[in-house]
Amino acid sequence: MFKLIFLKELRDIIQSSRFTISFAVCSVLIILAFVMGAQNYLASKAQYDAAIQENRNQIAANTEWMMVEHSIMLPPQPLMTLVNGVSNDIGRNISMSGRGELRSENTRFNDEPIFAVFRFMDLEFIFGIILSLFAIIFAYDAINGEKNRGTLKLCFANPVSRAGYIGGKLAGSFVGLSVALLIPILIGCALLPVLGVQLSADEWLRLALILIAGIAYFGVFLAIAITISASTVKPSNAFLIGLVVWIFAVLIIPRTSVLISGRIVDVPNVDEITAQKNRYRSQLFDEDRPKMSNFQLPEGTEMEDAMGVFQSFMSDLSEARQEKVDIFNARLNEDYTNKKRQQERLALSLSRISPTSAFTLAATELAGTSLTLQNHFMDAAYTYQESYADFMNEKTGSNRSSGFRMVMITTDDTGEEPDPLDPDELPQFTFESQDVASASQAGMVDLSLLILFNLIFFGGAFRAFLNYDLR
Amino acid sequence: MFSLLLQKELKNIITSPKFTATFLVCSVLILISVFVGINEYENAVAQYQANQEIARQDIAQATSWGRVRNLLHREPNPVQIFVSGVHFDVGRVSSISDYNDVKLSRSPNSDETLFAIFRVIDFAFIVQIVLSLFAILFTYDAINGEREQGTLKLAFANSVSRAQYLLAKFSGIWLGLIFPLLIPILLSLLLLLAFNVPLTTGDWMSIVTLIGLSILYITFFMVIGILVSAITRSSSLSFLLLLVIWIGGVLIIPRLGVMAAGQLVPVESVAQIEAKQEAFRKARWDQYSAELTNVWQEREAQMNGMTEDERRAFRDDNEWTWLEEDDASRKLVQADIITNNRRLLEEAQNRKKVQEQLAFIIARISPVASYQLAAMKIAGTDVELKSRYEESMRAYKDDFSEYIQQKEAEGGGHGGFNITFDSEQGLNIDFGRNDQTLDTSDMPQYQTPELSLSATLGASLFDFGFLGFVTVLAFGGSVFAFLRYDLR
Amino acid sequence: MQNTTIKAAPLLEAINLSKVYEDGVKALNALNVTVREGEIYAMLGGNGAGKTTTINIFLDFIQPTSGQALIHGVNANELPLEAKKHVAFVSENVQLYPNFTAMQNLDFFVRLGGKSNYKRGDYENALIRVGLQSDAFDKKLKDFSKGMRQKCGIAIAILKDAPAILLDEPTSGLDPKAGKEFTRLIAELRDEGKAILMSTHDIFRAKEIADFVGILNNGELVAEKTRAELEGVNLEDLYVEYMAGYMDEVAENGSSLANNLSEA
Repeated sequence: MFKLIFLKELRDIIQSSRFTISFAVCSVLIILAFVMGAQNYLASKAQYDAAIQENRNQIAANTEWMMVEHSIMLPPQPLMTLVNGVSNDIGRNISMSGRGELRSENTRFNDEPIFAVFRFMDLEFIFGIILSLFAIIFAYDAINGEKNRGTLKLCFANPVSRAGYIGGKLAGSFVGLSVALLIPILIGCALLPVLGVQLSADEWLRLALILIAGIAYFGVFLAIAITISASTVKPSNAFLIGLVVWIFAVLIIPRTSVLISGRIVDVPNVDEITAQKNRYRSQLFDEDRPKMSNFQLPEGTEMEDAMGVFQSFMSDLSEARQEKVDIFNARLNEDYTNKKRQQERLALSLSRISPTSAFTLAATELAGTSLTLQNHFMDAAYTYQESYADFMNEKTGSNRSSGFRMVMITTDDTGEEPDPLDPDELPQFTFESQDVASASQAGMVDLSLLILFNLIFFGGAFRAFLNYDLR
Repeated sequence: MFSLLLQKELKNIITSPKFTATFLVCSVLILISVFVGINEYENAVAQYQANQEIARQDIAQATSWGRVRNLLHREPNPVQIFVSGVHFDVGRVSSISDYNDVKLSRSPNSDETLFAIFRVIDFAFIVQIVLSLFAILFTYDAINGEREQGTLKLAFANSVSRAQYLLAKFSGIWLGLIFPLLIPILLSLLLLLAFNVPLTTGDWMSIVTLIGLSILYITFFMVIGILVSAITRSSSLSFLLLLVIWIGGVLIIPRLGVMAAGQLVPVESVAQIEAKQEAFRKARWDQYSAELTNVWQEREAQMNGMTEDERRAFRDDNEWTWLEEDDASRKLVQADIITNNRRLLEEAQNRKKVQEQLAFIIARISPVASYQLAAMKIAGTDVELKSRYEESMRAYKDDFSEYIQQKEAEGGGHGGFNITFDSEQGLNIDFGRNDQTLDTSDMPQYQTPELSLSATLGASLFDFGFLGFVTVLAFGGSVFAFLRYDLR
Repeated sequence: MQNTTIKAAPLLEAINLSKVYEDGVKALNALNVTVREGEIYAMLGGNGAGKTTTINIFLDFIQPTSGQALIHGVNANELPLEAKKHVAFVSENVQLYPNFTAMQNLDFFVRLGGKSNYKRGDYENALIRVGLQSDAFDKKLKDFSKGMRQKCGIAIAILKDAPAILLDEPTSGLDPKAGKEFTRLIAELRDEGKAILMSTHDIFRAKEIADFVGILNNGELVAEKTRAELEGVNLEDLYVEYMAGYMDEVAENGSSLANNLSEA
């Protein structure tokens, strides 16, 4: 019996013009999202490679490691362009120094505001906004439409149980529509390598999980629509209610939760913190000034060594300052980061009332473009900073310089041209996304939440239909 | 006759559940968006004022002209409550100094990535996405729905002209959708007053224009709905078609346009430009030090054959001239670097402008893009926001540098500290007179770039006109289609 | 004929069936109806008389307030799935799935009725029997006229081959020719031994084929006549006699129709 209804449901979906049109639109959109994601990735990659090359050229033009201005960049990743998350909103470049705080700069949207005007069309957008709307369009009259057509009566003139009927209906629409979605998804996936985007096994796994989350999310809206359809008499009313639910889930709840958490947890002004740090730094410098003014070369220093002695004196001072600054900054940062985390956690927890947020969070978490991307990038940069400092120390002898630099211009011409630098000697900056295990662990919360939503609304549809007036 | 038809249409709408649903949803959405907008705006203003204060204090604490740093901040604009545009994506602060070029960085979204995950929903967004959807919902069955009910036949069994009928239909639906919208819109204007948002007359004019534009945009979708309803037989088909049009127009075409332009006109990334600038800077300074070495060798050469005392006397005589010469060539280097930086930036800017123009032309295939572009222009949060600020900050930077140099010259000497290294006296550090307090009262003040109302309106006029044009066109189309409609 | 069937077991049986809705409206009041093998029982009555309520109770779409509805001796409200094995149903306005062809609709509903061993040929025979042209077999239902859809409905009932059949106003809205064909089919089914309970407004057709005619008014069975008793009786007079309430209603409908017209 279940099987029969299940198969009928499949056939009904496939033979309807509503399905044909929506399926065509969804397919175009999904494939477009993959193609545009791939193109966007390739374009970002070209930009990234060009910038890296330019950075190398610029380094190679130097003759002294001490003079090098090195900067590292967040490499674009295919998953970032498929699920944007915050990747367009965080600084991608960090100018490297051997010590001190690092700052990421040049967000994509700030560099190219044109993309901020209409934004990108990624999988998160397609699933989160469009496919959820289509789920409602597909299923808003699943029950009450059959009632209006009289087929519900005719079905139940036979020995059919309500549970079997609604079960077949739910399973049929879910399987029918998600299989339909799988076709363009698979085409899209197959297009990635064709377009020149190579994914690692790890990334394929993440992508698969993202798509599973997407289909689970689609299922939630399908079940919501069927529940509504089994609780109303007129299909047009069911569509309106579905639309209102969609607007709340997609537009209102996520944003309002940010507003509420902002009201509850007060995060200090970033600029205030930056200014405090700057002031402290310049205050320390002022304190060191008398020491510098009073600097005397130790008795009997050879002229050739004088410069070295002076530099190490300055370096020691700046090292000592830096230590104090680091402690000061760490204290300020900790307070700020704690408050900010608290605010974020609250906002995210609140927003999870909406399946759309749960999906967004699961997808971004799995793609490595969630809120943690920023921290992750900075952590990688600080790790790199150590090896960079060691390298510079080895090359220039000054301990993690940047405290003070002095170049001597001598009047005696040796006639020798110094050799240009080889940028390959620099340690490589590598950025690895969070490993798939911890990413999927983080994403799993939201993925299970989505599955829970599914169960709740499937249950809701059951409950509503068991009490449905069949007449 | 017209009024009878109009009354029937209004009665029909007002008693329908979709009217109630629309009214409630729109009211909630518009009021929440304006409330959130005011909240964001107030935060931005508080931050802006705090930052201004910080910058002022930092200047006040500087003890030598060479150490005066200035930070300029982008001033929040109250109309962004309605159209946030690129406000959250564009940097809001730039440092002004001799060493760095002007560059807005730290966009609000990069500081608070949470906002980047759940984007701001502003009035323009609601109009663009939600209200257009409701406009379709109100009109998709305007004609074919009546046919399906059989009421169309019944109505035309009387002496009713088709044009009159369509006009009454359109007016009725228009009034039925626009009036419930005006209520939350007016309430949100009251909200602005209640929160004492400082709005100038120009701002009010912008807001009113924006509301007018939004109504035009909603009208456009209503007319499209009637058009599709008048060329299809069944309301379920017209509903589907309209949804496809809506998704394509609102969600897809604008994005496609931008991405296509991004593909067609590749633009160098800022990182790449900065690296190029850095390379030039390095090369120029290297050239400078080579030149300086030559200059010193020449000076050395002039002293050839002199005794030690003669040398000292010669040096003392020439020291000031030499210093000035060296300083002049140093300034030349800086000027060269700035010129080159700006040239590179300008090239990139020009290319970006080409890309933007192309993107917007493609995007305007969908009138939705016209609405958004015009709305952002009216609010002053358009894509030019960044370059507008950076240009005015650059102009300010020149004034500021000039002022600092002048002050340094007046104060006799440069900022920072001076290290002399001499074979006789060894190494000396001279910080100059560092404990002086600076009188910054005549320091040039930065004026945020003000867009005159006529400038913003002029810039948005094209999109305004275009939207109006397609609306009229679509209306004409629906009249034409309805005159030939098979009433059976 | 009646003498031979009188011993047959009742296939459809309403025993003291009552239905009171939550809002206090009495839809049925202690209705007793029995339909045996090879009988047609026609329920006559105006809108709201309780005809459709009776059928809805037999199909377990609503629960009776008291009394029993038995199909093949099985209580339809206690063991609905068991009971519905023995009954087929044709509704007032058969619509079916508009995107399915006649064949696909038949296949689904007949399988739903528990018959899974039919071949295409059986479906074709049934459709031909109900008078559908063979070129319509694979057309989508949305292109069918009302009469064609009604024929599909009866074909489904025939194929289900249940001993009892419930018909809810099966001939309303059909043209005279289609109505006549429909009546002929029902009579054939009766002759095959089906027990048929139908509700109808159509007094003339009821008189023509029904073995029993029951007249309902306000949920009560106000008269029950056998075919023999109806011989020579002007059914219309009988009907009007019991149907004072119905006539009032007609008057009301008429005036609201007039209102509609003037509004338009």
